[in-house]
Amino acid sequence: MSGLRVHSAARRPPDPTPDPVRLQALPSALPTDTELITRSVTDPGQFTALFDRHASTVHRYLGRRVGDLADDLLSETFLIAFRRRAAYRPEHVEVRPWLLGIATHVVHGHQRAERRRYRVLAKAAGQPEEHGADPADAADRLDAQALRGPLAVALAALKPRDRDALLLLAWGDLSYEEIATVLDVPVGTVRSRLHRARRQTRTALGDASPLDVSEETR
Amino acid sequence: MNELTALREAGPEAPALSPAARSAARAALLAEVAGPAPARRRRPSRRTTLRLGAAGLAVAAAWTAAVVIAAPDGPGTPASSVTLVDFTMPTFPLSFDPVPDGLRPAFGGGSDGATIAAYDDPAGQDGFTVYVGDDEPDQRPDDAAENDVSATEEVTVDGTDAELVRYSRDWCVGDAPGEDCSRRSYTWLTWQRSDDQWVTIDAYGRYAGRDRLLQIAGSLVDRPQPATLDVGLAPAGWSVRAFKAGRVLTLVNDAYEQQEVTVHIPLPEDVIPADQVRSSIMGPIGPQLDVTVHGRPAQLVLVDTGYLDQRGWYLQAQFTDGTTFVLQVPDAFTQDQVLEFAEQVTHRP
Repeated sequence: MSGLRVHSAARRPPDPTPDPVRLQALPSALPTDTELITRSVTDPGQFTALFDRHASTVHRYLGRRVGDLADDLLSETFLIAFRRRAAYRPEHVEVRPWLLGIATHVVHGHQRAERRRYRVLAKAAGQPEEHGADPADAADRLDAQALRGPLAVALAALKPRDRDALLLLAWGDLSYEEIATVLDVPVGTVRSRLHRARRQTRTALGDASPLDVSEETR
Repeated sequence: MNELTALREAGPEAPALSPAARSAARAALLAEVAGPAPARRRRPSRRTTLRLGAAGLAVAAAWTAAVVIAAPDGPGTPASSVTLVDFTMPTFPLSFDPVPDGLRPAFGGGSDGATIAAYDDPAGQDGFTVYVGDDEPDQRPDDAAENDVSATEEVTVDGTDAELVRYSRDWCVGDAPGEDCSRRSYTWLTWQRSDDQWVTIDAYGRYAGRDRLLQIAGSLVDRPQPATLDVGLAPAGWSVRAFKAGRVLTLVNDAYEQQEVTVHIPLPEDVIPADQVRSSIMGPIGPQLDVTVHGRPAQLVLVDTGYLDQRGWYLQAQFTDGTTFVLQVPDAFTQDQVLEFAEQVTHRP
């Protein structure tokens, strides 16, 4: 994964419930993702370790897109991945982006649910939020709150293929090349989809935020 | 803050992965790992079997298609009533000026709009299909093993670089896949016509000649064309799921994707005689009602769709030119709404 690097503040915080991987004890002795998936072709039980490592990441990506439906789609994603494990090619893409690509295809069957969620979130964003007393991050919170509605509106309006590319970049942290691989399109197509999606999102945000497009270059 | 940062920091948040949901997903995976359960094939119920046995083939195919489209586990609940509102069908963004040989297009597309325009002569010997999309086409003639590519050439269309590929593939006209096939030559042309618009033309017969195809490509203009099959009304909250070949249009309830409206124009040989509609369709549960649509006699029957306990209306009616169309809608429509909807269906062949 080269390239996709925004300033550190843009990185999302660690998952609140990290996967219970047993890495701390003997990290160097643990098999890599690729080793696990390769072994799982002849020893299927090895595949469950990949679930333990990546379930939270995949669920978080799905959850941002489809909300509570993510519980079901998490299962579907790993079942599909397991059935396709023999076709996995480590020289093309790593396991995490491969799983997020499968999750993206799974979301396709629920595009209307996804759009409906964004519309509901857009409406909800117009309602005042209740917060605790801590004023320390009040300004940041207000900034984020101002963006929530326009962002949800923008996501609902994007074409599904453009939204896939944008969210694999923004929420999946995939590189352009990885997005191209998991969506099975040329990298030039990814560029044009991202260009369009980012432009439309920027336009939809309008005055809600002083966007700085020079902040990130690829 | 740029839009990516905004999405990460202020975009929709995910619900937490609960221990129960994690355990359930892991258990499902473990069950899969343990090996497939004994095969369970869904057998149609006796009632369904009987209905299928009595059904006309064309009608059965139409209902089957409607059933296959939707997954049975979608969220939401079906509408028990609808409100009909004015509806504008998506248009195809381009036209030809002049129109080659006066050919009339049939449009296809989905929720994103009309993306396909097929221009075929009535005999099916000469024609071409225009595809419009935001991106460079994912599939090229040389991607398909069954295609024989004979030549590729860099050309220009209106001064823009374009790619032209000559190839041949099977052209089948039988009822079953691979039946009654012959080899046919095509010429495929693609180029980026504007910033967000790629156009591809796949031509055969006398339109497959290099110069003829380039001439056709150069005559494209930005003039939207209305859909061949149009509905002037739709239930509020519903949208286009798909339209095909100018003969089939499906609308879907955005809040419950298993609920659909389908309008289709059957081939002349598939039109059911007016006095046999009820006995030729699946699951009639009401009498055949003689009604009037577009000033012509039409037949309306309440049916059990055989899917998710949904009931619906089956209407066979005609346009003013005598062309028959069929409307299948859920019983969330009242009888009056079915007729109101049907009166607004138009067809421009």
